[in-house]
Amino acid sequence: MKVIYNTLFKRTSTYAVAIIASAFFFERAVDVSSNLIFETVNKGKLWKDIKGKYE
Amino acid sequence: MLNAVSRAYVRGGVQAISTGLKATGVAINSMANRQGHTDLQVPDFTDYRRDSVKDGRRRNETAEERKAFSYLMVGAGAVGSAYAAKGLVNAFVGSMSASADVLAMAKIEIKLSDIPEGKSVTFKWRGKPLFIRHRTAGEIDTERQVPTASLRDPETDDQRVIKPEWLVVIGVCTHLGCVPIANAGDFGGYYCPCHGSHYDASGRIRKGPAPLNLEVPTHEFPDEGTLVVG
Repeated sequence: MKVIYNTLFKRTSTYAVAIIASAFFFERAVDVSSNLIFETVNKGKLWKDIKGKYE
Repeated sequence: MLNAVSRAYVRGGVQAISTGLKATGVAINSMANRQGHTDLQVPDFTDYRRDSVKDGRRRNETAEERKAFSYLMVGAGAVGSAYAAKGLVNAFVGSMSASADVLAMAKIEIKLSDIPEGKSVTFKWRGKPLFIRHRTAGEIDTERQVPTASLRDPETDDQRVIKPEWLVVIGVCTHLGCVPIANAGDFGGYYCPCHGSHYDASGRIRKGPAPLNLEVPTHEFPDEGTLVVG
């Protein structure tokens, strides 16, 4: 915690950079996981699941 | 002039001084009764304190740790808001771009083997007629021989076509927007029946009121036998 505070949070410049950089990873994580949840809930109803029946 | 606040302050100060002067006689007595609050016990807040501040001597050492926690919470909120803001901006900017049905109609793919030599075929593209002409060797030769100095809108044939056998033009007369007729007119290309504009087999204006050559849209030949316009 001490190291993180002194390297990232102490200066506004590094703090802002840390926020923006982690926003990228956060976005990716949220998108992937919400997509995964949607596909698990709707398993069997999606086009990629029933595609085989029509080809 | 004094404003309301400073006036109130001055009045309060004067009162304090006057009461102070009056109270000097009994001050010792009252102080003895109150004992400067030294008899009051400070309540024990240990149960409510974080572990890092329970020990008074350690409080300065753990300041960075505690600040790091606070900033981490604020930072997590900022990350969330940045994500939300990005989504919002994306949605608004995205609403300005062309919709999927427009994009789907924006390109046309044509199989060239369906068009015989010497024939001009009309397609509908972006709501306008599109002429695709399979030119014969004779026509290509004739159009290449035309001196540009004699043209109203000087363009060489090579500037207007990618492959010399294929002429791709938008079938809208540059005069008042009628649709010209293929393989008609004095120059063997297109003829506009509305006001009598004659275009040659390269779509260039040769005679009549139209000021410009027929427009050539951006097109490409991705492989032999296919043409993509748009």
